[in-house]
Amino acid sequence: MGFLLIGLFLVLMLLGMPIAFVIGIVALLGIFGMPYTPEAAVPMKMVNGLDSFVLLAVPLFILAANLMNSGKISEKLIDLALAIVGPIRGGLAHANILVSMMFAGVSGASQADAAGVGKILIPSMKKQGYDTETAVGVTAASSTVGVIIPPSIPMIIFAGLTNVSIGALFLGGIIPGILIGLGMMLFVYVIAIKRNFPKAARPELTKVGKRFIESVPALLTPIIIIGGIVFGFFTATEAAAVASLYTFLISMFVYKTLKLKDLPKILMDTLALSSLSLFALAAASALGELMSYYQLGTIAQEFFSDHIGSEWLFIFILIVFFLFVGTFMDAIPAMILFVPIILPTALEFGIDPIHLGLIVVITLAIGLATPPYGLVLLLSAKIGELSVERSFIAVIPYLFIIVVVLLIIAFLPEVTFFIPNLFS
Amino acid sequence: MKQLIRMLEKTQITIGLAFLTVFFLVIMLQIITRYIGISVIWTEEVANYSFIWAIFMGAAVMVNRREHFNFDLLQRKLKGKSRITLSIFNDLVLIAFNLAIFSLGIQVVIEFWNYTWATIPEMKMGYVWLSIPIMAGTMVIYSISHLINHIETWKTKGVME
Amino acid sequence: SEEADPDGDGKIKIIAAHNQTSPDNPYQTGMLKFKEVAEEKSGGSIEVEVHAGTIGTEESELVEKLQLGAADVVLVSPGFMTQTGIREVDLFSAPYLFNSYEHWLRVVDGEVGQQMAKIINEKSNNAFKLLGYWTAGVRHFYGKKPLESMDDLKGVSLRTQTSGVIGDFWEATGAIPSSISWGELYQGLQQDVVDASENAYPFFVQQSHHTTPNGKYITETAHDFTTRFLLINGEKFDNYSQEHQTIILEAAKASVEAERAATNKQDIDYKEKAIDEGAVVNEIDRQPFIELAKPIQNNFAEEIDAEQMLQAIRQLAEE
Ligand code: NA
Ligand code: NA
Repeated sequence: MGFLLIGLFLVLMLLGMPIAFVIGIVALLGIFGMPYTPEAAVPMKMVNGLDSFVLLAVPLFILAANLMNSGKISEKLIDLALAIVGPIRGGLAHANILVSMMFAGVSGASQADAAGVGKILIPSMKKQGYDTETAVGVTAASSTVGVIIPPSIPMIIFAGLTNVSIGALFLGGIIPGILIGLGMMLFVYVIAIKRNFPKAARPELTKVGKRFIESVPALLTPIIIIGGIVFGFFTATEAAAVASLYTFLISMFVYKTLKLKDLPKILMDTLALSSLSLFALAAASALGELMSYYQLGTIAQEFFSDHIGSEWLFIFILIVFFLFVGTFMDAIPAMILFVPIILPTALEFGIDPIHLGLIVVITLAIGLATPPYGLVLLLSAKIGELSVERSFIAVIPYLFIIVVVLLIIAFLPEVTFFIPNLFS
Repeated sequence: MKQLIRMLEKTQITIGLAFLTVFFLVIMLQIITRYIGISVIWTEEVANYSFIWAIFMGAAVMVNRREHFNFDLLQRKLKGKSRITLSIFNDLVLIAFNLAIFSLGIQVVIEFWNYTWATIPEMKMGYVWLSIPIMAGTMVIYSISHLINHIETWKTKGVME
Repeated sequence: SEEADPDGDGKIKIIAAHNQTSPDNPYQTGMLKFKEVAEEKSGGSIEVEVHAGTIGTEESELVEKLQLGAADVVLVSPGFMTQTGIREVDLFSAPYLFNSYEHWLRVVDGEVGQQMAKIINEKSNNAFKLLGYWTAGVRHFYGKKPLESMDDLKGVSLRTQTSGVIGDFWEATGAIPSSISWGELYQGLQQDVVDASENAYPFFVQQSHHTTPNGKYITETAHDFTTRFLLINGEKFDNYSQEHQTIILEAAKASVEAERAATNKQDIDYKEKAIDEGAVVNEIDRQPFIELAKPIQNNFAEEIDAEQMLQAIRQLAEE
């Protein structure tokens, strides 16, 4: 039965059926095959899967990112990043990474970053003589920090699934996110010297200061969001709403780059993007339901404690597994399906759920930039007009850096807990 | 038919955006009332259910626009009639699935119609569950219109070859 | 698909579920007892599959599954039952309705309990049939300061149910009922989002709430001797053979005893654990609270048409 369903999953997927529906169909047929469970459990679970206050943060963070792009706040951040790292050799590539890190502090997803920043920086990198591979690779790879540096939609989903504190998970994402960004900049620096990438003239200090002051309202956003959550002013969902409102206000009244007539389109884009991933979540909840009836969590726990016995080996297997799943599935449905299954084993091994959450989220972030299904890779490739295959080759070295940081996080939990511990 | 689909889509988008706006405003209300010390207990529930409606309406519109993520590897490899045949097959599977969800959704609506909201006992849960058959029903309509288009292309291709 | 006995071989399978994921939870003890007795007495012709939170950690979801037939035996609290349209059940969640565990026993195991079972069955059109009354322990107050009198509750933000009779009661004490999810509560007590909370020892001690600055002082208010309903899908039950029905009722009875014993033991064990780990426990004169609760109970009973039941429960208090 299980193999039949997996086979069906793969066949429908290859035939080009939308993934969310493939998941739903497999769930429906799977429950049809269960003698004791009514099929109506499928629509029921789709609604119940969405009936969670934390999920409301998803469209709200997407809205905040869309407002940032439409309100040209991303351009302010790019200007600032250029003023800071532009004079280094490979300045535009460094700025690409740095601005992704800043953008990540506002956005909970990575797509908006790849789209907004990529649209501006990929063409200008090409114009300044960077090869297209570097432009696309750096854009795709660096935008994965969008879900690692808080706020992060996948972290919110993980917290919802496991009942761990969203604030602690967010704090835990700061160090790995910064390490990944710095690692990528180091790598860019090495190849920039080898290939003699261009650099900008050193701007006057007053100009840097001006850019910085201009960006202050935008840079305050992460502090409001993370501070608000960690110090208990508001919940993650409320923080997302505040972030949207704040971004709206500064682009309307401080930068004056947004017009009221832009709003319908921004809202429509928000509804479109969030309903795509959340419908997939609803379908995945139904399939997850099927797996719950088979008590796969208990089965996995028994298997791992009988045959593996080592928490480190378990973590390693986990990483490989989620790397694989992430290649063809979005982080949200992947977590809905598999986190409940691995959680009992992780708890049995004494792994802190926050540690587990960071490992899972970072691993799935890599999947954002791997084919066949890697949204930021596809987006960047499209903007750069480069084939997906060549884009992927270009992005591999950067992914290697994420993997190194991931392994540090996975096997040196002290690094993970450094910042969260400061707050407790 | 085209006219009808366009109108349906427009209505559905309007409903979706309206619910999106409602849940945004309700969350703001929740923050504000908490800080001025008034307890409004229904905010979370109203926000959640508006959210469910918004997402399901959006998901149906995305079916019409064919924006749900899929792998088009095989579709890109195929040419001419076999490609259209594959599209027709996919349309049919989608229609079958959504018909099933539609009828199961109706069953759920009837089963749970009289359940009440936790914070507003006057409100029925039926209003929430109704989003399922409406989503699935409109998805069926959109997919049928795709199917008709594909069959027409298939026919003209047949004449040409 | 869904049938009582799909293979027609006289064997049935029962999916039993509760919402607690911890294997040490008394609910799990009770469910496993149900499984043990049902399987043993039926010689294996009944198979019970126990789900500890795996098919739903939300009670509302479990109730929906029960009605749909996606689960056969589930455990729910009065607050969630009322959302199915059966408002009378919520009476059992009224603060200070019971003045002792013995009082609670007399109510649920006596005529009132039977009457409630009948209401549940009739109002749900036989979707739900009550198998027995379990408990989730005695709920107490815990916060950043011990309560010496009711005045100490003035302006204290308290994590509790914000709607219905529970919210009304705490508001009347002067506290500010706040909603915050159970999963975020530890952090909330740690960082002063709420000043206090209320629950039974096994639940909040397992979550280490007593180790936070805002959860350290436990005042034994004993405002709620909690009731949990063990329900079976009535329609399916009627389709089982006479023999199976008898066995299921026996298994339910055994589960009731096992669950109550486990809860009572944990109530003591976890209180000790809390004290060992630095929590401070004090007692309080409950009389002012009981007096305050009376008119609220009266209004509430009138609202949900359960006045006669309320009087019957009060009469059982003094025996
Ligand atoms: Na982020
Ligand atoms: Na980037």
